Amino acid sequence: MSKISAPKSNREFIEACVKAGDAVRIKQEVDWENEAGAIVRRACELAAPAPFMEKIKDYPGFSYFGAPLSTYRRMAISLGMDPASSLPDIGKEYLKRTNSEPIAPVLVDKKDAPCKENILMGKDVDLCKLPVPLVHDGDGGRYVGTWHAVVTKHPVRGDVNWGMYRQMMFDSRTMSGAVFPFSDLGKALSEYYLPRGESCPFATAIGLSPLAAMAACAPSPIPEPELVGMLSGEPARLVKCETNDLEVPADAEIIIEGEICPDYKVEEGPFGEYTGYRTSPRDFRVTFRVNCITYRNNATMTISNMGVPQDEGQLLRSFSLGLELEKLLRSQGIPVTGVYMHPRSTHHMMIVGVKPAYSGIAQQIAQLAFGSKLGPWFHMVMVVDDQTDIFNWDEVYHAFCTRCHPANGIHIYKNTTGTPLYPYATPHERKYSIGSKVLFDCLWPVDWDKINDVPTLVSFKNVYPKDIQEKVMNNWTAYGYPEVK
Amino acid sequence: MKNMWEVFVMDMSELAEGKDIELSIRTLNPGLHKYTYKRVKCQVSAKQDKFSDSLQVRMGRGQLSASKFSIKVLEEVERMPEKYR
Ligand SMILES: Cc1cc2nc3c(=O)[nH]c(=O)nc-3n(C[C@H](O)[C@H](O)[C@H](O)COP(=O)(O)O)c2cc1C
Repeated sequence: MSKISAPKSNREFIEACVKAGDAVRIKQEVDWENEAGAIVRRACELAAPAPFMEKIKDYPGFSYFGAPLSTYRRMAISLGMDPASSLPDIGKEYLKRTNSEPIAPVLVDKKDAPCKENILMGKDVDLCKLPVPLVHDGDGGRYVGTWHAVVTKHPVRGDVNWGMYRQMMFDSRTMSGAVFPFSDLGKALSEYYLPRGESCPFATAIGLSPLAAMAACAPSPIPEPELVGMLSGEPARLVKCETNDLEVPADAEIIIEGEICPDYKVEEGPFGEYTGYRTSPRDFRVTFRVNCITYRNNATMTISNMGVPQDEGQLLRSFSLGLELEKLLRSQGIPVTGVYMHPRSTHHMMIVGVKPAYSGIAQQIAQLAFGSKLGPWFHMVMVVDDQTDIFNWDEVYHAFCTRCHPANGIHIYKNTTGTPLYPYATPHERKYSIGSKVLFDCLWPVDWDKINDVPTLVSFKNVYPKDIQEKVMNNWTAYGYPEVK
Repeated sequence: MKNMWEVFVMDMSELAEGKDIELSIRTLNPGLHKYTYKRVKCQVSAKQDKFSDSLQVRMGRGQLSASKFSIKVLEEVERMPEKYR
């Protein structure tokens, strides 16, 4: 693999973004209560540069970095690629790196770990000493974790999990979060800790390198510390926690250590979500008791502000969910041309391009997709043929509206795994995380005669001989048309 | 007014008057601890001048209710097991 030069920390990433014109330094004071959130939200909706807010009301010395990966340009920068790289190229690079050999992390000394520059223990622990923002007006609380990793370890298997599960500040030492039962942490809690009544050590790392954050929200089976190594081409630097045995990214801006209580819950939510709504009901959720806070000098808190497209919740998750499904389908030998989720679908629709090699291939794809670990996060699969450009919505939409048979091409799957976040779901379905799914099969049936039954696509590219196409393209400006880029 | 508080409810009937009720309320007093919660035993009233503290109400998805209440905090309720304190 050629040498990757990706930003190794949140600070290097901010520098790289500012240099490329993809982040702005905001010098004037910004309020942690709504104002910072509103800036990030507007930047997301305008696909504007990421705001680096250097001065926060009430919190001298701290700063915010918002909307870290809400554009493909910033995603390319995070991977050390040219910011102008196309989405298919970014996707290819992600697949190449995540199919490479795992790179194990290295453990560094406390003295070499910037996240240990300030340590609060015992009576000094108070989450309000951090500039925890009120991200959206009307949220159930100030959110500590919106762009972060919750680090835990399975007590028996020993696998390390970094997951991005939102965390709300309930009081100075308590947070509550949305950890869904089908997530890795949710499973460890229900399999082990809750039945035994044992508390689960955790550490929340905020202000990660962008690739560490990408790993924390990637639905990949590879343990995240190794995944970060593969994505960045070098070992992740970790350091031991102060109050438990977990290891956290040494260059993170802020670390919050503590225990998840198996026998105590406080309310969480409501919160602005990736679907573009506040949907999931306020409820008693997983509760985190904080025992220690460590942070860098001049720490930067990262903020993802979820709402209508497009923010990390849609852009990054669509990207990694699509590519992880592509890996899964290829691993099963299915002749896919690619998988794409349009971020504007709020990662609800998988578009799969496939060579229609045998009958039922669309159903096979849908069943694998919905039945996989990725399945709870989307409810629509649209399968188009290998001639349709999955990245071109005009082509996909045309295929959908013309080839998907209303009676034979739409397949509904009921009583699947859902989440409380689906806006269309009934209140009952949200409460019990009950989902339903749909497949739009936009392939011509294989039992249709290719000559007589399958309609011919009437397009410039498809119906004219090559020489005529070339003649028309070469003479285009001579006919009096402006040049086509 | 002494203190400003806010509560989230799914239904206004959760704010029953004339009896002791238990609520999770968050402080709206300015300062670093704004928006942190306490679990309390309290009495509430739709009459804003009945008790000295104010209580603003939000519904389940964060919508601000037009109804304003006053509240008397009787005591803090500690539900958290001793071992975590
Ligand atoms: C900004 C952001 C916020 C997220 N918040 C949550 C959350 O609150 N709860 C959750 O279960 N997943 C959340 N996710 C998705 C998880 O990070 C994702 O499913 C990840 O792969 C962790 O999954 P795992 O534990 O299933 O491996 C979020 C993702 C992003 C990008």
